[in-house]
Amino acid sequence: MAIRYLKKYAALEGNVSVEDAETLAQWLQQQGDPSVNLAKCEHVHGAVLQVLLALCPKVKEWPADPLLAAALGLA
Amino acid sequence: MNQADLLDQFVIESRECLEAIGTRLLDVERDPTNVELLNDLFRSVHTLKGNCGLFEFKPLERVVHAGEDLLDRVRNRALDYSAELADALLDAMDYSAQLIDQIQRNGRIEVSAEARSILHASTLRALLGDDSEVHSPSPSVMPAPPRLASGPPSMLPEWLDRLRPAIGLAHGASLALRYLPDADCFFKGEDPWRLACTTPGLLNLQVTGAKGWPVGDERAGWDCYQCNLDIVLLTDAPRGDIDEHFRCVAEQIVVCQVGLVPGAQPVADAADTVLRQRVGVLWSDQCALLERVGNLPGAVLAARRTLMNLLVCLGDVVPLDDLPDSAPASVLLAWAHRHAPHDGIPQVTAASTAPRFDDPERDIAEPHQRVAEGSAIQPQKVLKVGQEKIDRLMDLIGEMVVAKNSLPYLAQRAEEVFQQRELAREIKAQYAVINRIAEDMQHAIMQVRMLPVGAVFQRFGRLVRDISRKLGKEVNLVVAGEDTEADKNVIESLSDPLIHILRNSLDHGIEMPDLRRAAGKPTAGTIRIVARQESDRVIIEICDDGAGVNPARVRDKAVERGLIPAERAATLTDDEAIQLIFLPGFSTTDEISDLSGRGVGMDVVRTAIERINGGVELTSVPGMGTTLRLSLPLSMAVTTVMVIESAGRRLGVPMDMIVETVRVHVDDVHQFKQARTTVLRGRIVALRAMNDLLALDAAPLPNAEGELAVLVVRIGNESVGLLVDHFHGASDIILKPLEGVLSGLVGFAGTALMGDGGVLMVLNPKELL
Repeated sequence: MAIRYLKKYAALEGNVSVEDAETLAQWLQQQGDPSVNLAKCEHVHGAVLQVLLALCPKVKEWPADPLLAAALGLA
Repeated sequence: MNQADLLDQFVIESRECLEAIGTRLLDVERDPTNVELLNDLFRSVHTLKGNCGLFEFKPLERVVHAGEDLLDRVRNRALDYSAELADALLDAMDYSAQLIDQIQRNGRIEVSAEARSILHASTLRALLGDDSEVHSPSPSVMPAPPRLASGPPSMLPEWLDRLRPAIGLAHGASLALRYLPDADCFFKGEDPWRLACTTPGLLNLQVTGAKGWPVGDERAGWDCYQCNLDIVLLTDAPRGDIDEHFRCVAEQIVVCQVGLVPGAQPVADAADTVLRQRVGVLWSDQCALLERVGNLPGAVLAARRTLMNLLVCLGDVVPLDDLPDSAPASVLLAWAHRHAPHDGIPQVTAASTAPRFDDPERDIAEPHQRVAEGSAIQPQKVLKVGQEKIDRLMDLIGEMVVAKNSLPYLAQRAEEVFQQRELAREIKAQYAVINRIAEDMQHAIMQVRMLPVGAVFQRFGRLVRDISRKLGKEVNLVVAGEDTEADKNVIESLSDPLIHILRNSLDHGIEMPDLRRAAGKPTAGTIRIVARQESDRVIIEICDDGAGVNPARVRDKAVERGLIPAERAATLTDDEAIQLIFLPGFSTTDEISDLSGRGVGMDVVRTAIERINGGVELTSVPGMGTTLRLSLPLSMAVTTVMVIESAGRRLGVPMDMIVETVRVHVDDVHQFKQARTTVLRGRIVALRAMNDLLALDAAPLPNAEGELAVLVVRIGNESVGLLVDHFHGASDIILKPLEGVLSGLVGFAGTALMGDGGVLMVLNPKELL
């Protein structure tokens, strides 16, 4: 599983695939103040990126990938 | 390029297009869901149509245009690809090919073509169905041009603004690109984000929502699998790389060259950038100097002068004069900070410039490197050269080879006649050099003439499809090894025999579907064409899984047609019997159809193949299928012959017929009446004297030890020994066929010019015996 849903945040790790987008979207919508940890995230699928952009959760820790960080920072 | 050249080019390109369309149509028929193939097909048709428009060949354009509309519908899934559709398109294609022929002949299309063109076009349009107006643009509207076009500066898209800060830093050759993935792209397994991230030469990347992101209640019903990404990026990779990278989504991207964006630096500014960076470094060095406490007035003055020079160097007109000459260090420092030259260049800080400072060459070298890379990835240039020019080259190199062969004779003469041993050695050394170059040259020219055998196979798809439909049989054609290469002439002379073979397989080999089912075989028969190279031969095998050749029937038919006497037919083994189908006039079919039965089948194949020094072998298992094996030379330009001497005459024998050369003692030759034989490795070999065959009145000449020179040649499956006087070694020659009055001569394959200027008659042992 590339996403671990913890109490306070969801940890996106490694390569987050397209299948995870829907669950992530649902989880983010259920949370009052959702936040994600991207520290160990290497790549997110376009659909996951779209979820992150659309629902703009708080980013607890930024990913190492500068492109991803820049894309999320802009939204 | 004048109009005539342009027209020639048009004809060549159109032919290529039509060929590509033909192959693709068949591919698509096999796999109608393959979007890639459909797109490719559509592209070819589109190109063809575009070319027609250039010349105003209305009838041609009309047909092609109708075809294009039809394909567009198929591509958009508005219409299903069907056999009728394929038939109509293939017919239209054939008609287009006729029109192209007309254009090539007369430079225009005859008026009579108009009616048929309208007919073809309306047939195609009929297939479009009634709802054509609803889905497709009206025929007069050109399909949207490829969106991969750099727009003129006046039409700069607003999305470029998103890249604005980055564009300022990019050099003029950079490309800005907008990528709007399809809404359903996630279902196609695409990952637009990864595609964008892995863009070659990526400089900057921005992503937003194309239609904005859902807010409030919209979020609940929001479908995260409807792609809403809008990606813009900046790259300095060459255009070719970008097109290659986004080739699968080419219609979803828009490219714009940054150089066309106002405010972007032109390429020539690359050096200026470096200059400004260096100035920036020096400027901050001066600032650091001024910041030091207790500067001497001289040092301050020096710093001031340096700053001034830097400004001059940049061409800036910031007046330093308004500062008093004796201004203290602090005042100058404040001024320096205010006027630091960082407009339009990256902020120069000590940290960011340090590595650059160490390696200034790198920055300067980079633009050049980019240029070099740019040219390296350009697609290989292809030169279209007329066939006759290559043929001329081939003839010339042939003469060169012959001319070069005269040098050893010259060396020999220098040594023997003029007693110039030294000179002879030098001539020989020179000969070695020229020989090497000539061989390389010959090899290179041969390479040019090499064609993949696939060039011939291409049209077989169509042939098999048409004939099998006509006969009501189901046949799959499997082709392998189509990139095996052979000389152009070999390939070209292969086409007719192969068509004959395929027709035979389709007509006689593959059974009707119900018969096949009864025999426990799959309903659809398979014809397999496999090409491969074996040393210096090209092997082409044509196998079918049909009924095979029936030896008994072949025997009966051969006797019935009076091709061989009945007694002889009875003594033949099954394997030998099936070879009878190669006899001229042989046919097993009683009725003459348009496919076969005229008795010109396999014998034509054999003659055609043998004309290019090839061989045909037939094996067949009744009920299981037939295999025909063609073995062809890679090239037929240069022939290797063995030069022999008989009764004082020099003669050539083609090397590929020779099995061995032996010396047999006169005592080992057994004479029985007129026939002479000898035993070689436990096998009896018939001996024939060359002089007898050529009607020369001389006995074979034994050497000092009383041995006769025997040249063993293979004819068919038999070995025959030819008694000659001397062997003179092998020689490469250009074989010229006998012409004029000599063309009726039997027993000779042709003539060749030797290095010493003599003419060598080359024997054809097969005709001779």
